Amino acid sequence: MSDATSGTGTEGIGEMRALCWHGTNDLRVDSVPRPSLVNPNDAVLRVTASTACGSDLHIVDGYLPTMREGDVLGHEFVGEVAETGEGVEGVEAGERVVVPSFIGCGACAYCQDDLWSLCDNTNPNAEMQEPILGDSTAGIYGYTHAFGGYAGSHAEYIRVPHADENCFQVPDELDDTQALFVSDAWPTGYMGADFCDIEDGDTVAVWGCGGVGLMAQHSADLMGAEQVIGIDRFPARLHAAREHAGAETIDYTEVDSVLDRLDALTGGRGPDACIDAVGMEAHGTGVAHAYDRAKQQFGLHTDRGEALRQAMVACRKGGTLSILGVYGLMDKFPLGILMNKGITVRTAQQHGQRYVPELLDYAVEGELDPSYLATHEFSLEDGPEAYRMFREKEDGMIRPVFRP
Amino acid sequence: MTSQHTQRGERESSKERSGRSTGRTDSGRGRRVAAGVAGGALLLYGVARRSVRGVAAAVAGGWLLNRAIRGRSSGGGSAGWTAAEERPAKGAPRDSLDVQRSMTVERPAAELYDRWRDPETHEQMWAHFAEVDQIGEDRQHWAIAGPRGISLEWDAEVVAADPGEFLRWKSLPGAQVPNEGSVRFLERGDGEETEVTLHLRFDPPGGRVATTVIDRLDLLPDAAAGKALRRFKSLVETGETPTLEGNPSARGQGDLL
Ligand SMILES: [Zn+2]
Ligand SMILES: [Zn+2]
Repeated sequence: MSDATSGTGTEGIGEMRALCWHGTNDLRVDSVPRPSLVNPNDAVLRVTASTACGSDLHIVDGYLPTMREGDVLGHEFVGEVAETGEGVEGVEAGERVVVPSFIGCGACAYCQDDLWSLCDNTNPNAEMQEPILGDSTAGIYGYTHAFGGYAGSHAEYIRVPHADENCFQVPDELDDTQALFVSDAWPTGYMGADFCDIEDGDTVAVWGCGGVGLMAQHSADLMGAEQVIGIDRFPARLHAAREHAGAETIDYTEVDSVLDRLDALTGGRGPDACIDAVGMEAHGTGVAHAYDRAKQQFGLHTDRGEALRQAMVACRKGGTLSILGVYGLMDKFPLGILMNKGITVRTAQQHGQRYVPELLDYAVEGELDPSYLATHEFSLEDGPEAYRMFREKEDGMIRPVFRP
Repeated sequence: MTSQHTQRGERESSKERSGRSTGRTDSGRGRRVAAGVAGGALLLYGVARRSVRGVAAAVAGGWLLNRAIRGRSSGGGSAGWTAAEERPAKGAPRDSLDVQRSMTVERPAAELYDRWRDPETHEQMWAHFAEVDQIGEDRQHWAIAGPRGISLEWDAEVVAADPGEFLRWKSLPGAQVPNEGSVRFLERGDGEETEVTLHLRFDPPGGRVATTVIDRLDLLPDAAAGKALRRFKSLVETGETPTLEGNPSARGQGDLL
């Protein structure tokens, strides 16, 4: 099933293959119904590349309470437009497009303010978030029903709401792999660096050298940071940080003290900005963390909290703490450090639509080619094995890419 | 159906909460853990249902989780909480069948008033809750279909209208569960956005039949009102409401809540 340019076969009839969640550590490739146009502003895409995200591992591990058995995973993808609804004006069948993971409507106050992941109009299950967040977020593909319940991109086809706002044409100069990371990993990392208002001479330290952490480092370098420091413990990722992202690295298992090392690298001041991209929980949820806590008291992931606390202590006085990892409802948050050091905290889920056009330009100009994140390729049928390797970070894997 | 019992239990504890109580401000950790797990389960149960019941369960589940997180005991004493925190979380279930919800929409009040009175918009915004048919210029027929063939129907009439600003409607005499509602449109700033406040009130006569009907329908005006406003906003701002209709999964097609 690779050819469905238009008209035939995509009207909701027929089946497709998709990587589905069936429970904790239970991923299967199933035949599921093909999506079709539902709302006037929808498009249906034939997915040409889709990647796993660190935040998916939380789902695989069974920590997110609003997954349902049989949900299709995946939220970072590129595809070819198969058909469009009657309200769609700027997107046509046959076009190659990249789509941000959080879905925007373009019309609400948040979208108009370029705060796309806060969109008011794209989460069909908004009422499930309100009791916890006090509000609701935008919807996202393949990432729990509290976050919208939309079927994910590890499938042959996907329905994209508000196509005019969410489908960005991929320039001919870029291949699918280059465009793929403009869906989420790069704009998330770029946003994290953007939060730091980088000036000449600045040092930016990034905790985490996964897809988002590397993109944050690379973006900080692009924005003119004098010194970028990546912190992790996996050799392949540290290597990528040095080789591609223009960073110096600290292997935190190899040094006595990360703080001392950062002090030494900054003349005792500490980094001007610290970005937390550990575990890449950028789409993690309050729900997830509440559930974690409820289930395991204070959760398995104390190391993540530790990284964040370390970043606060490391950060120079008056500096910026940019949080891309999510600490939902963590209550051991040492606010006193932030307060007494006058640190500014900035954070968000990715406002992808705000950044995609400029990132595509960067890629075309050759200033940043994110395709080094794609260390491994798989067919959809090998999805469960790909996720197993991804979790274990086996064979130096940074991101696995599926070609449905 | 065990989940139904859970739901009923939750409702009882919500009653308990609103009563005056001297409970501790911090529930024990074990209790919080239990509430969190139950909340997660209810959320799951909620999304598995394709009905108002489902919404109710999901909301209740979210509220339980919320309580688990905040460490508030079901007794809910007020010491240590500010007035703002005393306000029940949005969408939290309560005893009263009286609810007010507000939402800000990026359109002038006059336009919103007209859209509210447009039968097509009106029908779509309530579709998750009831089937609303226009049966006269100022009259609508409302029908809620519940599980096991139970249903609730009534005719309502507009009793006050102030174009561009305010609308009030009321069920006609003879309604099994008398009810009324109103909506107010308050423009902000330069008039590009409007605060829309919806008020709904259901007055069960107290008879056994009506109470049973309400109970069986899981009539939660809070959830219904919030979702209706949200749907109205989406329709007006984007021309559609977000939906999981036809959503593919290994369960088949469609994920309507
Ligand atoms: Zn992601
Ligand atoms: Zn929006």
